[in-house]
Amino acid sequence: MIKLLNVSKRYDDIIALKDVTLQFNEGELIVLHGVSGSGKSSILSLIAAISKPTNGEVVVDGDTISMLPDHFASVYRRDNIGFIFQRYNLIPSLNVSENIIIPLIPLNLTQDEMMQKLEYVMKTFNIEHKRDVMVKKLSGGEQQRVAIARANVNNPKIILADEPTANLDKKLSLEFIEVIKELKSQNRTIVIATHDPLFFDLECVDRFVKLENGIVVS
Amino acid sequence: MILTPEIVTIEIINAIFVVFATITFVISLRIVLLWENDSYSPLQYKLQLQSYLAATIIKFILYIKILLFIFFVYTLDNIATLLPGAMCGAGVVNATVYGTPLLFLKIINLYLFAYWIVLHNQDMHTKHQKYIRLKFILFIVVYFLFMSEIVLETLMFYNIDILKVVDCCGSIFKTTDGSYLSSILSISDAIMLKLFYALYGLMIVVFFFKNRYIFSILNLLFVIVALISLITFFGTYIYELPTHHCPFCLLQRDYNYIGYLLYILLFLGTFNGLVLGFIDFDINTQVKKYKFALFFNGIYIVIVSYYVMSYFLKNGVWL
Amino acid sequence: MKRFNFYLLEYAVSYIFRYKSKNLFVFTILTSLIFILGSVFFLAESIKNELHFSVDGVGDIIVQNTKAGMHTTLDDTVVEKILDMQGVSNVESRVWGYYNFSQNNIHFLLLGVDEFEVHNNPLIDKVLENVELNDSSMIVSSGIKKLLEKSYYDKYFNFILEDGSTVQVQIIALLNEIIDFEANDMIIMKKELAQKIFGFENTMVSDLIIKVGNPKEIPMVAYKIQEKFPNTQVLTKEDIVASYEHVFNYKSGIFLTLFIVGFLTFFMIVYDKASGLSSEEKKEIGILKALGWRIDDILQAKLYEGFLLSMGAYLLGIGIALAYVYLLGAPFLRELFIAPNALTQDFRFSFTLDYETLFLLFLLSVPIYIAATIVPSWRVATQDADEVMR
Repeated sequence: MIKLLNVSKRYDDIIALKDVTLQFNEGELIVLHGVSGSGKSSILSLIAAISKPTNGEVVVDGDTISMLPDHFASVYRRDNIGFIFQRYNLIPSLNVSENIIIPLIPLNLTQDEMMQKLEYVMKTFNIEHKRDVMVKKLSGGEQQRVAIARANVNNPKIILADEPTANLDKKLSLEFIEVIKELKSQNRTIVIATHDPLFFDLECVDRFVKLENGIVVS
Repeated sequence: MILTPEIVTIEIINAIFVVFATITFVISLRIVLLWENDSYSPLQYKLQLQSYLAATIIKFILYIKILLFIFFVYTLDNIATLLPGAMCGAGVVNATVYGTPLLFLKIINLYLFAYWIVLHNQDMHTKHQKYIRLKFILFIVVYFLFMSEIVLETLMFYNIDILKVVDCCGSIFKTTDGSYLSSILSISDAIMLKLFYALYGLMIVVFFFKNRYIFSILNLLFVIVALISLITFFGTYIYELPTHHCPFCLLQRDYNYIGYLLYILLFLGTFNGLVLGFIDFDINTQVKKYKFALFFNGIYIVIVSYYVMSYFLKNGVWL
Repeated sequence: MKRFNFYLLEYAVSYIFRYKSKNLFVFTILTSLIFILGSVFFLAESIKNELHFSVDGVGDIIVQNTKAGMHTTLDDTVVEKILDMQGVSNVESRVWGYYNFSQNNIHFLLLGVDEFEVHNNPLIDKVLENVELNDSSMIVSSGIKKLLEKSYYDKYFNFILEDGSTVQVQIIALLNEIIDFEANDMIIMKKELAQKIFGFENTMVSDLIIKVGNPKEIPMVAYKIQEKFPNTQVLTKEDIVASYEHVFNYKSGIFLTLFIVGFLTFFMIVYDKASGLSSEEKKEIGILKALGWRIDDILQAKLYEGFLLSMGAYLLGIGIALAYVYLLGAPFLRELFIAPNALTQDFRFSFTLDYETLFLLFLLSVPIYIAATIVPSWRVATQDADEVMR
């Protein structure tokens, strides 16, 4: 369960979020929508403990993650969060499998454990056949699948996606939505920040949260 | 004044240590004075980040320090060939008034730096970093000791006179002149040995009762007794010479460099034992530390006893 | 103890190769520094060892005569008196010196031997077992043979005496065919012949080699000799060894001091290079953090990176230095340690691996490199992952 309590976030002179209070329950699929700059991405990065709020608290499953020192925040992120970035943020000079295992490297797993997790997500997201291909040589859709695989490799409870369909055509966007539906059926909590109208009339979405200038509007 | 390449190397690395330790010292001061656990201010954030730098530097210093200590000992042996009268490092240490305090300080600093790192690892496991202030106050103290060590070392190298004759270990570790050292060395072997083995036996007993403070004190006593008994008793069996009491000659090739192994074992064993008294570990780590202490100290005992027993078995008599 | 994280190591290796250009520059500089420094040390060590070897063959005490502060000849009546001293087990009187081969302004080392004497250097005895010298024959080493051949002397050589007359001496054997040792180039001949060539009276010798029965008594005996013959210079083996070591340490020390400057510059370069991250690198680190890498994890990866680079440079530098000194004979560098002499061109150093020197070079490369990367690595590891979001 994710709770944002009176959260404000300020970057230098820009106020991204103003006194936001939200609660997301486990297993819900939430869509944050609003124009760019409305604060959607900031909420995601707060939930992921990538950034800390200027005021207020972020509580996840009872832990006040906003107060965690860096090394605990990183561990929390590693164990609980799967993040799909807007521009995927894959490492172009590495191949597919190398990119996917990045979140696992610091965990010091055995080779078997590593391979097991890797194979599972590659199969699930249908990118197995490209395992040794360098990421910069992949198509947009394939790159997205790698990003999704990477986000899922450590079996996180929470999936966060920032404008996932921004660079995709309709066909691939629909494929993505199928993936989301599948993930939801695994009882993960999913928060998607988007202004893609394709999401607006999905039945599987539990909540829509509209943001405007850092304030929750609906 | 002596200027071998070994000494120049040591001084170069000392210079690097001084620069980095001072950076860490400044960071330590700031953290001790300004740290606020629950604050979100940019200052606190900066301090948080700087504490990582401090920890990294301290780890670096420790690891290199260990290598450098071995190298230092090697260098002492090396200089011995240039000093008339010296046959091993003991002569060099005695050549100036700085030698002996330097050696003690180096050993103490090794323990202190290692302790800092263990404390740091514990601290990083706690969500609110409960040891943060303690850590850095400790470092401030260690900083002064460390700087003293480097100053002493430089003074020692600067003041060694290759024209002055020095005593060799035979006369330094004599038991007959009236010095402080000789009175320690002339404590009867029987008493020393009884203490030595008894302390270890007590350690095993205390392990079952899990009293970490007593265990820690036992280890402190053990390292002292072990060193004395090494000089007065066990060493003579390693050298197979009843009058050879030197702790440095053990490090030479003639004796298969056994000295390095013995001292490392002693350090690892007693350090793990000592640290139990200073930090409240969780039960698993505690047990591990007890076991390490008993293990390393145990092997030390086995090795020194082996030399004695094998001499007796080979020759049918004690020395 | 935790299991070693190979995946992290693998990542560090891949990182080094993916961001090659910056690392290559630093790697090359470090390798070069180690190479030069290593060569100097290996060379010095080798020469020291050669010296030890040759000094070992010389007895325990050398006695030389001085006149007006300069080395001069000794009268061998002194031998009896020294033999009488307590503790002395043998006295060998040597006749040796340098003959100026003025055509090339080269000096030959002439060693006079006597087959009835006990020599301190067992190699000499071995030589005499195999060859019989007479009043006009000599044994030369290969370097000298080559030189003589250049001046068209093939089977003999005419030595010019003090009074201008010449004496012809036959070359009856080559030194390195009898003994294995790649000696300093020299000529061995009968003592009387050497005395004749140098213009010595037949009781005059160059110096005395004294063997003392109990090594512990060497200083005492040396003292007594000095007392009895105040004009002589009495040197014990240890004195000689120490003085050579001193010179070598001094020369290597100078190099090292020069290198401090080099290393300082190196330190700054490394610091600079490590701090200057390309935007791609910055992005990569940001991604790592966003994916859950702790600051400690990134620092560890950076440490592996630094260690691998410096270790690699160290090993490569050492390897090249070893090849340079022991395979090539260290051209150019040797001029600094041995006076350039046509005879020593072919001198090959025997291979000795001194662990202490290797340790020393290690301490001068890896810790210094890692020290230079500590602050830049920390900066990198603590950068804001937030940037990645934009």
